[in-house]
Amino acid sequence: MEGKKLILSLKNTGLFYKRKTGLLRHDKFWALRDVSFDLFHGETLGIIGKNGVGKSTVLRLIAGIMAPDLGEVIRHEPLRASLLALQVGVIPHLTGRQNAILGGLLLGLRRSEVEALLPQIIEFSELGDFVDQPVRSYSMGMKARLGFSVALYADPDILLVDEVLGVGDADFREKSANALREISRSNKTVVIVSHNNGVIRNLCDRVVWIENGHTQGAGPTDAVLEQYQQAHTTAVTSDSQAPGKAALVAGDMQSQA
Amino acid sequence: MRANLDLIWYKVYAELSAEAARTFLGILWWLIEPVLYMSVFYLIFGVLFQRGGEDFVYFLLIGLVVWKWFDSAIRSGMVSLQTNAAVIQQVYQPKYIFPVIVVLINTAKFLLVLLLLLLFLLISGKPVSITWLALLPLIGVQFVLIVGITSVCATVIPFVPDLKLVVDNGLTMLFFLSGVFFDISAVPEHFQVWLRLNPMAVLIDSYRSVLLLGQMPDWGHLFWVLLCSCVLMVAAVRVFNRNDRIYPKLV
Repeated sequence: MEGKKLILSLKNTGLFYKRKTGLLRHDKFWALRDVSFDLFHGETLGIIGKNGVGKSTVLRLIAGIMAPDLGEVIRHEPLRASLLALQVGVIPHLTGRQNAILGGLLLGLRRSEVEALLPQIIEFSELGDFVDQPVRSYSMGMKARLGFSVALYADPDILLVDEVLGVGDADFREKSANALREISRSNKTVVIVSHNNGVIRNLCDRVVWIENGHTQGAGPTDAVLEQYQQAHTTAVTSDSQAPGKAALVAGDMQSQA
Repeated sequence: MRANLDLIWYKVYAELSAEAARTFLGILWWLIEPVLYMSVFYLIFGVLFQRGGEDFVYFLLIGLVVWKWFDSAIRSGMVSLQTNAAVIQQVYQPKYIFPVIVVLINTAKFLLVLLLLLLFLLISGKPVSITWLALLPLIGVQFVLIVGITSVCATVIPFVPDLKLVVDNGLTMLFFLSGVFFDISAVPEHFQVWLRLNPMAVLIDSYRSVLLLGQMPDWGHLFWVLLCSCVLMVAAVRVFNRNDRIYPKLV
């Protein structure tokens, strides 16, 4: 990543959640123990790892939603990072238009900025006249389209994407995947979390692999993915229920493609 | 900061219109509900027990309207971080905005009911006194008090959820000690001193002096209420700021 500007670093970050274990008793569940990596301006970084290894927690650290309990998150410049969260604070009884404004405000825009973006948001969401209907009358796909469009046009410094490529109907999935591809090729900084290697391979310049709360590897996409797959193949072949597991992964791919 | 204000106002507007859209009668419920609530108490204390003199209706209504604003705002505002958990875990927003939004929503409803109450007083032939102007500072002080208490509760409850139950019961107790049903000044001296430590007792008494007796409120007392409320608000802001990025882990 020579020549690219360093904008954010995680240095040995760890984070725990408290779990209630009995009357007046808590224990600490460490979601992350020792995660370090750098993020450069304009790159698309993938974060891989099995479910429940704290990938989403990493996104929350980058977005500044949570602070690490160990280590530090260093912002080398002021940044507005937002999660491409599909349905932030949706109020079902309000119209799509009202929810779009609310979503934009929650993502940190001014009212006037959201208003100016509304025509593009509505256009991209393909909701047409439905935009003035209450959101509770929407299908899942329509809600997802609205959420994706708002997050896309809110245009943060770092776009954080958390396993959201499987939403909406086939056409819109294609469109949103294209939009992400376009963003990742542009000069935008994007961080994508997924356990789907296809998505990562397609979009990312670099990959960080997290296992058991530790950074297991980081580097160019192909190299890290190969390591990751090797580690997993060994795990799968040593598993007597290998076919079942393989089917599960395939099902996953389908829903995410 | 300005973006925060934009968000606060829009969310207040959005929540209010969503509430209106949820029922057939919509916005009318903001009037029907308090009227029902007040009739229950009037039936019991005014008709059944024959309490108070001829002005008892006005006396009771003022107490109830003022109390209800305080009570509903705190009850829903103190858990506002929990009710907005999904938002808090997905985007960064300073946490103080959540209780403030709830208080503003309840304030809008209160102002509507207060307007109705003033109309009722006018229609019943109560003389409009210059002291009605003192309503503005009274409402201001009560607003700061509500924001202060609600915010302090909202900062602590994510850490100690049990506090919600304490506050719920505390509010019920305070309801009976705030002089909604009786005149504080009619209580024996040595109890009065203690009862007046309760800011809501002071406020309810002041609203009545202003609206029914044409007397100015006790500004000294109100000043103390304002001061304590400001201390609460500052404390809440400090706790919120210190734990801003801890709350998403708790809710």
